[in-house]
Amino acid sequence: MTTSFNIPPSQSTPAISADWDAGVLAISGDSYPENSFDFFTATIEWIESFLAASGNRALRLDLSLVYMNTSSVKAMMDIFDLLEEAHAKGRAVSVDWYYDPRNERVEILAEEFREDCSFPFNITARN
Amino acid sequence: MNAERQQAREEDALLRELDTLLADPAHAADPLRAPLAELLALYRQQHERIERLVRISDGYHGMSRLHSDSLADKFDRQVRRLEKLARISDMYQSNLRELTEALREASFKDPLTELGNRRYLMERLREEYERSRRKELPLCVAILDVDHFKRINDAHGHDVGDEALRRVADALRHAIRQYDTVGRWGGEEFLILFPETRIDEALHTAERVRTAIGAIHIESPDGGTTFPLSASLGITERQPDEAVLLAVTRADNALLAAKRAGRDRSVVL
Repeated sequence: MTTSFNIPPSQSTPAISADWDAGVLAISGDSYPENSFDFFTATIEWIESFLAASGNRALRLDLSLVYMNTSSVKAMMDIFDLLEEAHAKGRAVSVDWYYDPRNERVEILAEEFREDCSFPFNITARN
Repeated sequence: MNAERQQAREEDALLRELDTLLADPAHAADPLRAPLAELLALYRQQHERIERLVRISDGYHGMSRLHSDSLADKFDRQVRRLEKLARISDMYQSNLRELTEALREASFKDPLTELGNRRYLMERLREEYERSRRKELPLCVAILDVDHFKRINDAHGHDVGDEALRRVADALRHAIRQYDTVGRWGGEEFLILFPETRIDEALHTAERVRTAIGAIHIESPDGGTTFPLSASLGITERQPDEAVLLAVTRADNALLAAKRAGRDRSVVL
């Protein structure tokens, strides 16, 4: 998959938009699909393709995730592992995690995710 | 180890001696020379083969040790990952639990007056009614309505109307007894529950509430002037074996009677 794609949000799944030309993957909303492994497959494959593609272009993740079930947490950890691997090979990768300042718990959760990540991982309040 | 080294030294010396003897032209004609030379070559070949075998075997051994080391590493990494997953997942779960608790509380509360709302009152009504029936204890219900509330809203605006409701709620909270229950029944109506209370005592408390509300003076937004509040109440006592909502309806009818009789009063039915 070397194209961009858009998945609209649903009650239990976040909105996902992957912009191949801009090198940005945005995920926002709540994530508690019945089968997170299926749901995130396309996204993980897209990241793998992008990181494998020639051109050494930078990849940025724009995340505004609020609630996640356990298998979604697992999927995000897998994604961060992919980024960490690419980062170790010298690829420019970064994460911007935005949270609603009224919900500081999300900030603490993002910090938990950031642990063990050595690539740039910014956690920012945004209304 | 020393014995081994000694043996290796002796072996080296023997080989050197054999090489020297074989190279000596004095033994060129010896019939043992040729088979001995062959035997020596064979020995060296076998020796080389054994060395190689040991090297290969050691190599395999080392490789498998490396492999099990990396397996142990992988295992440790997976355990750490699982711990992280569980930690984050637990945090989400406890956040959800607290949110559920907060929502539950909010679902029973009227945000304007911070009194219990109609849902809360319905639950308390059922509970108190059950208790009073089971224990054969008296129970009284009162419904209070702020007089001419629509007029206040129309004349001074909704902010002043809201302020009036908050002040009435405060007066109610202070004037009822500790074991009475009060909540916002809807609009400008409040409901009071008097557990284990006969009608005369309930009326006494209701009158205290009415007096407290009568003492409220609300400032009008144009400044300077104030206006008083008053309220009408309908009170009733639970009758044996009647449904809880019948008592509420009777309290409502009593309230209607109080309104018709000129407001700012309590009526018992």
